[in-house]
Amino acid sequence: MTHLTRRDALKWTAGGLAAAGGIIAMPSILRAAAYPTRPINVIVPFATGGYNDRLSRAFAPYLDKELGQPTVIVNKPGAGTQLGNSYALNQPADGYSILCTSAAPYIPLTVLLQNAPYKFEDFAMINLPSRDYTLAATSSDSALKSYKEVVDKLKADPSSISIGVQPASADYANMVLAMQAAGIDITKLRIVTYDGGGPARNATAGAQVDVGFVGAEGFLPLKSKIRPLAMFAAEKVEWYPEAPLIAESGLKTDFVEGSQRGWAVTSKLKNEQPEIYKFLVAAIERASKNPKAIEALKMQDLATTWYGPEASDKAYRDNAAKMARYVNLLK
Amino acid sequence: MLDVSAFQEALGIMFTSAGSWGWIVPGLIVGLVFSAIPGISITMAMAIVLPMSLYMDFFSAIVFLTSVYTGAGFGGSVPAILMNIPGSPSSFATTFDGYAMSKKGEHNEALGYALFASTICGILGYVLLLLVVEPMANIVLRIGPLEMFAVAIWGMLLLGSLGSKYLTRGLLAAAFGILLGTVGMNTAGFTRGTMGLPELLDGIAPIPAMIGLLAAGQLLTLAGKDYILDAESAREVSVRKILIGCWGTLKYPGVLIRGSIIGIIIGAVPGVGSSIGNLIAYAETKRTAKDSATFGKGNPKGVIAAESAVASAEGGSMATMLALGIPGGGATAILIAAFMMHNIVPGPNFIETQKPMVYAIILNNIVQAIVLLAVGIGFIYVASNIVRVRTRYILPAILVIATLGTYAVTGETAGPITLFVFALLGFALVRYEYPISAVVVGILLGRMLETEFLRSYQLSGGNPLYILNRPGAMGIVAVMLLSLLMTAWGKRKQARAEAAEEAAIERLHQEEMARGHKV
Repeated sequence: MTHLTRRDALKWTAGGLAAAGGIIAMPSILRAAAYPTRPINVIVPFATGGYNDRLSRAFAPYLDKELGQPTVIVNKPGAGTQLGNSYALNQPADGYSILCTSAAPYIPLTVLLQNAPYKFEDFAMINLPSRDYTLAATSSDSALKSYKEVVDKLKADPSSISIGVQPASADYANMVLAMQAAGIDITKLRIVTYDGGGPARNATAGAQVDVGFVGAEGFLPLKSKIRPLAMFAAEKVEWYPEAPLIAESGLKTDFVEGSQRGWAVTSKLKNEQPEIYKFLVAAIERASKNPKAIEALKMQDLATTWYGPEASDKAYRDNAAKMARYVNLLK
Repeated sequence: MLDVSAFQEALGIMFTSAGSWGWIVPGLIVGLVFSAIPGISITMAMAIVLPMSLYMDFFSAIVFLTSVYTGAGFGGSVPAILMNIPGSPSSFATTFDGYAMSKKGEHNEALGYALFASTICGILGYVLLLLVVEPMANIVLRIGPLEMFAVAIWGMLLLGSLGSKYLTRGLLAAAFGILLGTVGMNTAGFTRGTMGLPELLDGIAPIPAMIGLLAAGQLLTLAGKDYILDAESAREVSVRKILIGCWGTLKYPGVLIRGSIIGIIIGAVPGVGSSIGNLIAYAETKRTAKDSATFGKGNPKGVIAAESAVASAEGGSMATMLALGIPGGGATAILIAAFMMHNIVPGPNFIETQKPMVYAIILNNIVQAIVLLAVGIGFIYVASNIVRVRTRYILPAILVIATLGTYAVTGETAGPITLFVFALLGFALVRYEYPISAVVVGILLGRMLETEFLRSYQLSGGNPLYILNRPGAMGIVAVMLLSLLMTAWGKRKQARAEAAEEAAIERLHQEEMARGHKV
């Protein structure tokens, strides 16, 4: 059954391609009718229950309507998205597999640090609505009141404050950049490493470490247990306006965006099947702009902002380039 | 403490959404069945049903998912007792005495003990949670790496009570297990022993590895037998005997309470879950028991201790989840996702503004534990029929189910391959008389030992006096040492008493002999 329909789909898309590259353009309605004819897999390279998983599931009903076919969420967790990303690249470029992923920082990280068998350019972003930033925070009953105080103390004695951070992450790079900007010797810091944002946040909220550098979004449910010191963002973040920006501490430092999450496809699909790619972009755009979808996702603290493929791809590539520039800090 | 008006409102929620009660039994059955299948963990079972719960209203969804959680907490002990293959890592300690009881033909009773220990301590855990949900959460946040390292060491002490023919081989096996547990990327970002395989970056999957090791040992011993139990008369399935076991559980309140306390505290610590609580509870119960020599040979107290810690860990883990929005383990991570999908974010805010809902969830869990008593008896009655099936049918079936189980959920061949590799390893270990259980303990605790030790080192800057700033860690170490000393003291006293007794007998004997000579 599926075999037949897949063959049908291939035939039709092949026809579409021939027409696109051929003499007369086929009526677009005919090509649109050929795709999609069966459910579309949404590959989530994380376990059930994470941000991307929730985003894909909450968005699914609205996306299904625009696609005219149901979506099936396929969780492929492991190795910091490398397993899921490789899986996505191994699927035929027929438009029946799309990704809902944390493009940044994971794609650059797996490429730069894990020797993943793919390149940044193998992925094409459609829309990355969710942006997260590194937040330096301390426990709410801590004596530290501002980021400036942290810098001053560390300047006097680099081992006076313990720092919780996830190694090989955007947060780590931001922490190191900020320390370098302040002229603090990194080798003398007491850095405590955590293998995930969650444990690092718990350690911060529970005052296990004096200051934690972690993705800000995950702190939202724990807001009352922490004090935000510095947000590594260029402008105020709308979902956490009370967090001071790093620039407010008087420190001039470069930083990378913490995460960019949303919808992507393989570059192979974008290049080889431009019609299918356009169809997918249009469907995701309409679903993202659907007021009902916006309302439903907002209730779950999920982002739907439409930036579009150009802006999203640019943000992703800028981030990847910055990570590549600072790769030595990540190791 | 308990907020009375919120409590009354909670009762209101419970009774106005009576429709949601209908989800308790299906949830329990799903949890029992999935977790009884070797290779499918509680987390996986919940991940499978999570999308289903999206179509229910909030309270029904939570009732359904927590019922799966409650059922799964017990289900793993069924294969552990009947076949020596734990359904999930948290029922590993149940195999020690549970399977030994089965071999003696006491499988009905063993399952009864496990069920009652599980439900009673589940209820105990939730009642405590009802009273101290908030202060508990704040204490949990204060538990740092040094405390966790002390707990992990405590877990390793279990090795001393596993007992093996050769001490050196036992230690070697444990060291090997710990090394296996550290494969993958560690907390500081260093990758070890992955042999270039990206699948190993997150470490060796503990469930297929554990099942592979234990199943291999089982296959060797069972292959030569026709049935799991030799004696035909022992192969009966009797509700009466199950009930005897259930009732018998009540005779050991001390074991139940100790197991519950260990379970709640360890279950509440984020990221640890119940897979270590059962090991500690078992080891502590064995160490302090007067009849510690019979542990591992079918002592019901061993089953009760292990199961009580597993069940009460659920309550602890729920406390952290509700009060802080932090998952204690994989299963509560799924529960948080379910909350979020219904637009509710657990955490300090949730508990302040929606206390009645929090109470209603906890109360419903108590109801589930009570319902589990009835459903569980039915379930173990059906499941224990496995002792009547010939091993030549069971063995291939277990292998196929375990292989499918490790494959089905993620759809990756990594699961079955791990199972196969570790089965071979298990064969080798059994063949050369290395204790498999020591390797399993190492795998389960290796990662935690390393991670927490490394963090303690990082925090202290290498200064050993750091422990003086951590009264909690000092307390844990003190209790641990005290427990060890008391055991040593007890053993010594026992040995002396035995020696004295022997000497007395010997004297009597000699006197008799002397008298005999005289006559």
